[in-house]
Amino acid sequence: MSTEAKTQPIAQPSGLSPKEILRAARLPIAIVVVLILFGLVEPRVLSFGNFRNIALQASYLAIFAMAQTMVLLTRGFDLSLGYTVSLVSVAASMAMVAMGGGDVSILYGVGAAVLIAGAIGLANGLLIAGIGINPLVTTLGMANMVLALASTISGGFPVTGLPKSLTAEFAEGSLLAIPTPIWIAALVFVLLFLTLKATRFGRSLYIIGANPRAAVAAGIRTVPVLVLAYVLCALLAALGALLLTARTGSGEPNLGGNLTLEAIAAAVVGGVRLSGGEGGVGAAVLGALFVTVLSNGMNLVQIDGYLQQICLGVIIIVSLIVNRDEARR
Amino acid sequence: MLEVTGFTKRFRGIAALDNVDFSLNEGEVHALLGENGAGKSTLINLIAGTFPWAEGVYRINGRTITSLTPQVAQEIGIAAVFQEFSLVPDLTVVENIFLGREQSSGLFLKRKQMRQAAAELLDSLGFHLPLDEKVAFLSRAQKQMVEIAKALRMRPKVLILDEPTASLTDGEAEKLFNAVALLKARGVGIIYVSHRMSEIRNLSDRVTVLRGGKKIGTVVTAEISDEGLIEMMVGRPVEQLFPKIEHKPGAVRLEVRDLTTEKHSVIGASFTARAGEVVGLAGLVGCGRSELCRAVFGLETIEAGTISLGDKPVERPTPTSMLAANVCYFPADRGSEGLALARSARENATMSSLDLPALSSGPVLKFWRETEAIKEPLGNLALRPMAPERRASAFSGGNQQKLMLARGLMKSFDVYLFDEPTVGIDVGAKADVYNLIKSLVEAGASVVVSTSELPELINLASRVYVMHEGKIVAELAQHELSEAQVLSHYFGGHA
Repeated sequence: MSTEAKTQPIAQPSGLSPKEILRAARLPIAIVVVLILFGLVEPRVLSFGNFRNIALQASYLAIFAMAQTMVLLTRGFDLSLGYTVSLVSVAASMAMVAMGGGDVSILYGVGAAVLIAGAIGLANGLLIAGIGINPLVTTLGMANMVLALASTISGGFPVTGLPKSLTAEFAEGSLLAIPTPIWIAALVFVLLFLTLKATRFGRSLYIIGANPRAAVAAGIRTVPVLVLAYVLCALLAALGALLLTARTGSGEPNLGGNLTLEAIAAAVVGGVRLSGGEGGVGAAVLGALFVTVLSNGMNLVQIDGYLQQICLGVIIIVSLIVNRDEARR
Repeated sequence: MLEVTGFTKRFRGIAALDNVDFSLNEGEVHALLGENGAGKSTLINLIAGTFPWAEGVYRINGRTITSLTPQVAQEIGIAAVFQEFSLVPDLTVVENIFLGREQSSGLFLKRKQMRQAAAELLDSLGFHLPLDEKVAFLSRAQKQMVEIAKALRMRPKVLILDEPTASLTDGEAEKLFNAVALLKARGVGIIYVSHRMSEIRNLSDRVTVLRGGKKIGTVVTAEISDEGLIEMMVGRPVEQLFPKIEHKPGAVRLEVRDLTTEKHSVIGASFTARAGEVVGLAGLVGCGRSELCRAVFGLETIEAGTISLGDKPVERPTPTSMLAANVCYFPADRGSEGLALARSARENATMSSLDLPALSSGPVLKFWRETEAIKEPLGNLALRPMAPERRASAFSGGNQQKLMLARGLMKSFDVYLFDEPTVGIDVGAKADVYNLIKSLVEAGASVVVSTSELPELINLASRVYVMHEGKIVAELAQHELSEAQVLSHYFGGHA
């Protein structure tokens, strides 16, 4: 640190120093660097088709990372996110099948998704904020219950017979040549960005995460804010679950297996602090893009799946270390 | 013995310390004085090896040192007691004192010897502590004593004390002063950082004053007046630290009757605060005056008693309802309860006012109005630097306090509850806080100040309630206010 300080001219504290700009741009730079490195080994990485593919894949992860960000900002996290995706996928599918599998049945699927996710989020939020149970224990317990429920109602098998239009519209559809899932992720991003920036709820999330006791002393009603954060997280997970279900064309009890970790990883890599109060949906989206670029590249150069998991773990830890060093300044 | 010359340190290109010389002799107490952000912390951290210096020469006992880590510093005889403790709450007093330097024979710790050595060490300092108690159960003053004992276990030649009395009561501070005198007699050189003029006067041989990262001068304590020191520190003559307040007691704004908290930190307390007056709450740390303020604001659970604002009784106070009822509370500990340090100055200034029409309509936050809305409050408080987008954690202690106080200026409140409003802030910022209190009271607000600083009570308050073990034991009118009078009630006795 001292050598950096020595070479720097004395600057006014206002405005962005080159170092700060570099820090803000480091993830986009990392994304480009990773793309080029993989492109050197496997030129297909740098094709237009692959870019489109990356954007499409990243849009799903981005939704889950943004969901997770809502609770990460409050110093919490949601370990039940992945299995909520599984449960919503099978339950919504069963609802659609039960209602005849026509176009209208999609609405029933959405209704089932909202009810189930709303209940999970409400339960998480009330246990954590209302009773004061640690988010780790609460959402881990919830994850277990939700997983068991998903396996039980589906019998462990995929739910088939979904409306054809579900996949046609919500997975393969496009508007102005941009696939529907990307539009939806972009819409979620805009709405959440505005929520965080321009609502009292959004500001409260940051204050609670930065210092929960100070938030209370400042008259912020922390319980409803936290409950809403967990409900929002679960509802966004449900939205992602419906989109993934549309992509696979069936209700999958194993759909959410790794999603919890991947969503946290994407948010943290993007710069959302586990210690709360810092970061945003922009960070979550960039993080999701980075993780996707990396796994896409590893797939194309045929790196083993388990090795990819190891890489993901290493990246989370490295980004935690980088963030920690920054927080110390 | 210790000498540094041309010490310079920059953070992000801004000089926190600029070409500072400092020396310390054997058996000398050398005080460091300066406002927050003057560079005191930076200087002692460099001397203690917490982080490296950019430029300058560091000599100890004639040896030049080129780089230093906290471990090496300890080995060459430099020990530091910082404001943030480095104790492990779940270990006992003895275990903490020997932390990292456990004495053992083979695999087994020499518990008896360590206990004996710890007892002797504490005894020699005049500290009486329960040796086998876990540190978590000790008071802040006791923790401070453990921290000092821990620093002394290595028999340092240089001891750095960073605001050691900031959270001690006068009696506890007395013990610390005795220990300082003892160490001095043993030839230990002591670097003593404090805001308190009387301590510097009583303890130190020389004073070095820093301002804005630069050294203003080093003087022999006996040869300079308090006014002279303050002038060096703030760079302008300070006519008077305490403004003259015109008290015009009017209608009762806050009335508390027989209040008892669930934890019995407050027992049957009754008091009133009128518009246009400053009411002081005095007493030892832990006497319940903090909890009384907190209970009124809804931060402590109330078991019995009533609170009314004007003639309106308050059923179940919560911070939200009390803010809405025009009661504003400033917590004693701005780090743990006052500020969201990772957020910007702007967000900290507005965090309790987000429901005001100026800042929101319904759920929508008018973020585009925010910067304009905080301009006047932060301007009145003379925030330095005036950088609303800077993280709160990057401001000095006094300016962090101002960020918290800015909340009280976002609208006009009827009742202000100040809990330790000047803890750990410098003289200049203190004067700002006192002037704020003056302007609030003279504008007709009712101000309650809970403080352990006797001069504040005597110079600011129109009436003082003294608390002891949760109960209000005395009420003193302005003409009865003297240090001796107030102190005589501190231990519940009647003078």
